[in-house]
Amino acid sequence: MELLFKDIDAPGLNTLRVYEQRGGYEMSRRALDMHPATALEELQASGVRGRGGAGFAMGKKASFLPQGDMDKYLVCNADESEPGTFKDRELMQKNPHLLIEGVLISAHAVGANKAFIYIRGEYDYVADILEAALAEAKAAGHVGALDLWCHRGAGAYICGEETALLDSLEGKRGNPRLKPPFPAVQGLYQGPTLINNVETLMNAPIILRMGGAEYAKIGTETSTGTKVVSVSGCVQRPGNYEVVLGTPTREIIFDLAGGPPEGRSIKCFFPGGSSSPVLPGTDENLDLPYDFDALQKAGTMLGSGAIIVVDDSVPILDVCMKTAKFYRHESCGKCTPCREGTNWTVKMLERIERGEATPMDLDIMSSICDNIIGNCLCVLGDAMAMPVSSMIKHFRKEFEAHMEHMQLTSTEMSRGPHAGPYDVLEPIGVATAALG
Amino acid sequence: MKAKPMASAKRETTDALAHLVRRFEHGSRVPGWDEAADLTKDPAVVPDPATTPVPPELASLIEVSMTRYPDRRSAAIPALRAAQDHHGWLSPSAIEQVAAVMRLTPGYLIAVASFYDMFEHRPVGQNTIYVCTNISCSLRGADKVFEAMVDAVGDDPDFNVRSFECLGACDIAPMASVNAVYVGPLSISDCDTIVAQLRAGQPTLPDKQLGGRPVARAWWASGRHPEGEPAGGRGAEGPTAIGN
Amino acid sequence: MPRPEVKLVTFSLDGREVTAPENAMLVDGAKYGDMNIPVFCYEPKLGAPVGACRMCLVEIEGIPKLQTACSTPVKDGMVVHTQTDRVHEAQRAIVEFLLINHPLDCPVCDKGGECPLQDITYGWGPGTTRFIEPKRHFRKPLELSPLIAIDRERCIMCYRCVRFSQEIAEDYQLVIQERGANSYISTFDGRPYVAPFSGNITELCPVGALTSSTYRFRARPWDIEGSGSVCTLCPAQCNVELTVRDDRVMRVLARDHDGVDDGWLCDKGRYAFQYTHVDERITQPLVRGSGGLQPSSWEQALHAAAGALELAAGKIAAVAGGETTNEEAFLAQRLLRDQLGSNHLCASPAAELPARLARALAAPRLQATVADLEFADTILILDCDPVDEATIWDLRIRKGVRRNHVKLAIASARPTALDPNAAVTLRHAPGQLEGLLVSLDAALTGDEGNLSGASTAAGTKAAEVRALASLLSGGGGEVVIVASERSLTPAAAAALLNMASRLGLSGRDGAGLLLAPTSGNGRGLREAGFASGMGPGYAPVDQAGLGGMVVAELAATVSVLYLLHADVLRTHPDRDAWAEALRTVPTVIAHESVMTDTVREYADVVFPAEAYPEKEGTVVHPDGRLQRLRPAIGRPGAVRAGWWVIAELSARAGASDERFAAASEVSDALFAAVPHFRGLTLDAIGGRGLRWQETDAAAAFDPPAWEPVRLSVPDAAPGGLRLGTFRTLWASKEVDMSPILRFARPAPLIELSAVDAARLGIAHGEEVEVACPVRPGEAGHGPARPGNGDGHRLRGPAVVRAAVPPGSVFVPEGIRAAPANLLTGTVVEVRGLHTRVEVPSVLGVTAAQGIEGRSQQPTESDAVGGIGGDAPLAPQEGSGDQTADAPSASDEDSDPDTATGGAA
Ligand SMILES: Cc1cc2nc3c(=O)[nH]c(=O)nc-3n(C[C@H](O)[C@H](O)[C@H](O)COP(=O)(O)O)c2cc1C
Ligand code: SF4
Ligand code: FES
Repeated sequence: MELLFKDIDAPGLNTLRVYEQRGGYEMSRRALDMHPATALEELQASGVRGRGGAGFAMGKKASFLPQGDMDKYLVCNADESEPGTFKDRELMQKNPHLLIEGVLISAHAVGANKAFIYIRGEYDYVADILEAALAEAKAAGHVGALDLWCHRGAGAYICGEETALLDSLEGKRGNPRLKPPFPAVQGLYQGPTLINNVETLMNAPIILRMGGAEYAKIGTETSTGTKVVSVSGCVQRPGNYEVVLGTPTREIIFDLAGGPPEGRSIKCFFPGGSSSPVLPGTDENLDLPYDFDALQKAGTMLGSGAIIVVDDSVPILDVCMKTAKFYRHESCGKCTPCREGTNWTVKMLERIERGEATPMDLDIMSSICDNIIGNCLCVLGDAMAMPVSSMIKHFRKEFEAHMEHMQLTSTEMSRGPHAGPYDVLEPIGVATAALG
Repeated sequence: MKAKPMASAKRETTDALAHLVRRFEHGSRVPGWDEAADLTKDPAVVPDPATTPVPPELASLIEVSMTRYPDRRSAAIPALRAAQDHHGWLSPSAIEQVAAVMRLTPGYLIAVASFYDMFEHRPVGQNTIYVCTNISCSLRGADKVFEAMVDAVGDDPDFNVRSFECLGACDIAPMASVNAVYVGPLSISDCDTIVAQLRAGQPTLPDKQLGGRPVARAWWASGRHPEGEPAGGRGAEGPTAIGN
Repeated sequence: MPRPEVKLVTFSLDGREVTAPENAMLVDGAKYGDMNIPVFCYEPKLGAPVGACRMCLVEIEGIPKLQTACSTPVKDGMVVHTQTDRVHEAQRAIVEFLLINHPLDCPVCDKGGECPLQDITYGWGPGTTRFIEPKRHFRKPLELSPLIAIDRERCIMCYRCVRFSQEIAEDYQLVIQERGANSYISTFDGRPYVAPFSGNITELCPVGALTSSTYRFRARPWDIEGSGSVCTLCPAQCNVELTVRDDRVMRVLARDHDGVDDGWLCDKGRYAFQYTHVDERITQPLVRGSGGLQPSSWEQALHAAAGALELAAGKIAAVAGGETTNEEAFLAQRLLRDQLGSNHLCASPAAELPARLARALAAPRLQATVADLEFADTILILDCDPVDEATIWDLRIRKGVRRNHVKLAIASARPTALDPNAAVTLRHAPGQLEGLLVSLDAALTGDEGNLSGASTAAGTKAAEVRALASLLSGGGGEVVIVASERSLTPAAAAALLNMASRLGLSGRDGAGLLLAPTSGNGRGLREAGFASGMGPGYAPVDQAGLGGMVVAELAATVSVLYLLHADVLRTHPDRDAWAEALRTVPTVIAHESVMTDTVREYADVVFPAEAYPEKEGTVVHPDGRLQRLRPAIGRPGAVRAGWWVIAELSARAGASDERFAAASEVSDALFAAVPHFRGLTLDAIGGRGLRWQETDAAAAFDPPAWEPVRLSVPDAAPGGLRLGTFRTLWASKEVDMSPILRFARPAPLIELSAVDAARLGIAHGEEVEVACPVRPGEAGHGPARPGNGDGHRLRGPAVVRAAVPPGSVFVPEGIRAAPANLLTGTVVEVRGLHTRVEVPSVLGVTAAQGIEGRSQQPTESDAVGGIGGDAPLAPQEGSGDQTADAPSASDEDSDPDTATGGAA
């Protein structure tokens, strides 16, 4: 079933004319005629959960915004930087007006008078399309009184985290804020703010058209609707596929994305972007229904809905290193465990790679991950620690084999250039002698 | 600066020794860590508009973006991007110009600018190539593509090649953003082509641009994937080791 | 604005019931239960918690994740655990994380022994580390500014320093650059962090990453003693703790008092302590002989002075400066007034207000306090820049605006540092505060005639004045008016009182006037009776003396001039006339702590005086708080207590039989003599001070409520470029004499508007000349005399500022090299000299210094270049012992680092 991808490749869908021909902006007009509470009810009835990562029910979050005529904000999170995720890009690029319509409906439902679409800076060409659509929609009077702008970021993954996004939008460094207060109460410019992912908002016109209750019938009981899943990595047909939530994962990886290349098998896969703990490619895991709760029960998460497949030819250490380095690079540095923990983890992995580690280091590394998880200001630290510790848990043997292999192949028992404090002093003496 | 004979002598010795000491092999990536303030300079207060000339086009771009937000500081990123577009990089004077228009200290802006990856703090070539080397792309050989791109560019000062975190186009992995145009899947040989096309002022790999590609379902059904790009992408290269 | 009410709630802390104020953060709430939760980034003074370091994690029942106690408000019935395994594990984890890149160079770190990181590591850390990777190494120490060294290895990224810069001082110079593990504390483009309050970050840093260059390697916590006193370098009178080692002041720390300074210090207060130990200290009496000033014994000097007093037969005048204590001022006025029969007492460079106005302004019911700045509905700043007049108020006003949304209105001739925070700013012509206030008063009463006349006279627009008036009257009744006595002419004072009465400020809590005197203890001097028109406690006098000192008359009238901590050539207007007076008056007695131009050139008898760290006595804060000075160190050389010297002079002049054996006895005499101090004791004043308005004695001073008077429109300012002067906080002799503050010595400059600069063809940075043309008969202008007018030109680089209104020119006062008090006119001519010169920055940073592990101590001979090449008069013992190179073990370690290398 395709809701978001319906007619997605229709020529000129990104223009107002074509979009309107296909019934565009009917729903936002209808919403504006409704009492905001009625629109909100529809959204709540649909049960649609956030598509950005946390999977929080959208209507419920919207209902947390206080009533009253203060400035309220709606922010669309189009920062899409989770490795492996590229659904929002395709959706915005091809159907920008659907997003604008979704923003209009949701803003009306919560009484927001100002709205921003925060799009990651690298998506300049998508932002151009979006801005052109926005200009068209404004000129045609669809946007009405809503003060809606597209705001381009400048390259920082952490700005996808909702409170960091708000800081970034306020023109600051993208550091996450302490929660509480939650954005719904005190968000952008200290005003009540609803933040939703692109895909979440794009569902709003669809929900209104179908009726919330009807929408809720799609998918499973707790994961309603369809989901655009980005499948990438070691598959034959990478790309975005829209599936009904609850579809078996195997179907997505194999039937839609073609499965791993000929002759390869799946070593493991990230079910929901690189922040989700990996699942080994066992039948049991592949049979998991692709929905929020089933994945959570399996110890991982649906996250942003990005499946990254790793086949058996790839050393797990490489995957682990890429992941850890990414989070070290993207850690904002505000809180201690994340800033130091990601850094330490990378240093340990580098040592493991060089063959200067022992299996005990794996225990230390898991313990570092445990010390990060739950102790950070936001969940970026956890987002590194969880996949890394899942890899150690599932592939400990492989890490150990690497260590052993490095031991055997190293020609002499070198402590290596980066090991411990002992040879730090030595070369200075040597060097001085050499100079003297 | 006042002479500091003792300390600087000591420093010279350590500098001379540095290459002999393995501990110091790979140096600092972060330029500011080892830098003191230059006490001959003035403190960086909000630049006075009366004495800080700003190109009018830049000033008006910044003014316009400030009007969009309830708090003018929100325009920091758009303003800095405009300044970078105008000057090619965020030189100290470019930041001071933004600061003068926005009535902020340059310190505020450098704190913001240094947080985000897309700002350049050194002069760079005008052709910007970001090669994605994050997980999905490197599972499909991105690290080699990056190396090839660096080789293809050589020391041409007109190019700015950077390895980048996930650019959000893993469907065309391995990919790159060439002056903000997404292209992929890239083969090693594409790198030379891209560089040649940029030098010649031609569009970049028109048939590998992301723009016209239908959604995956239709794309893979259509069978019109670029030549020589078997799904799974690593063909003859054998087992992938993700380079770091 | 209503102040927050405190409600107590009870919560459970590790199984015990604890009662604490509701909504206090748990860290603070836990203290009510004697429980210490470790913190690094939490510092309530810095505003909202950031929750960055994660050291304070605790377990709260009902919340699955550990919570940061620094950001969780205490609620009734909350159940908190701080001693569970989970909490301990998290605390150990955080300490381990923090230490992985911390160099652990505690043995050579200045913070060692007073370091929160050390203490918390001992108290809560794991004791060992599992980190065996090489630590990062950076060059260290590095200069962050002439005052501050930074050691980035030690930094734990607690954000305190940058939050101070960004949210307290709001100078936004110190920032974090880069992100994640690469983050570091820095400034833009390698600029020094130079700002009026920068030194506070050295006190905030919980590790040894930010250290004062004056304190590096000077002492260990067990070598030093702390001694509380009050800084008298400006009227704000911040409470300080002087760190003393071997009878020398080593550093100055804030002694948090929320009624005075809110726990901050300015850099002048923090670093100008060095003037106590410089070669220019006068440490023995001097008497002028044929060969100039010669060292003498106390007996000789006192004899000479007493002789002169006797000869003068009442023809004596005295001038006091701001370091004078109440006691000294009290004794001095008693000497002049009661014994010698002279009322020529001058305590301020500005003209003294008539007693009636002075009393009305000092009325307890009109008095606002410093804390009111934080909670007012509206603050009106009148023709002054708080950062220059009473420096620390600047931070308090910022706090009010930032945290409590206080509306700030500024009406001033020169742009102020607070302009960006103001809801309304209004510029008037220099010297036209009077016109502005008359028009404001008219706007408040709807007197359109006066409004338009006076606003034109003030060089502003009626519409702007009206907008200001409506902000004041429409924004809630708690209005605090901040002004400087420098610009308060009698008519302006009357207008101000009118306004206060129309706004109903009298008797209203949280509202009123806060006037910055012209010098540190300006208010105390007046209350102790050191004024020409008022005795102790504002008592009326029969015949007012020459108070504001009509200098030309003075020279003709008196034969002895007694200068008590007064550097008139530098601080008083009309330098020429003063020089003339000093030349003609037969005997000039100077009671001074350091060698100033005034003393060197003109004093006949010099009594060495104490610097404030040596003084004992009381001072009065501008809001009426009596505060005690207590000696932290002994007096150098032959210096004797100020009160003793004056009392001794009194005795020799044949005074009453009263004799004082101790400073406290003088205080008692003062308290007895000033009606509204009656009943006060030094003990009652104690370490926190006491506002006399809050004592029973206040009833003794109750001037009648001010009845608004009819005001007349002042003469319009003449056309042409109008000269305004300003005095930066750095323009003081203590700054000049403190080697470390050499960089901050103000340099001459001439501020112009962009419009005028363009009109006159003057470029920014071009050398220009300002001259007052002689215009005989011009208002406010003395008779033309040689040296006035065309004889006086001031040169300096043109500083073109967008915020300066066209028609105004500003020059800084109090600069030794280019005394602006030579210029006496109100209209000037400015011309460019077509040469480029170096433009001093706003703060006057012109020279560079190095830190490199050793500090500038007051003994370097070149360090006092600005004072002139005089040989030290009384070389101070032990002053040469501090220049040895510091044991900079950390220098050895200043290697290129191993860095983490960034990802990708
Ligand atoms: C480190 C981090 C990165 C995130 N990146 C994104 C992102 O790129 N796009 C997004 O929509 N949500 C992202 N999120 C999730 C947001 O915080 C937030 O939950 C989401 O925008 C809410 O929208 P939704 O309810 O519609 O999903 C991220 C969260 C974290 C912790
Ligand atoms: S320098 Fe000190 S105060 Fe500043 S962040 Fe580092 S540890 Fe904190
Ligand atoms: S003190 Fe609570 S997080 Fe730092």
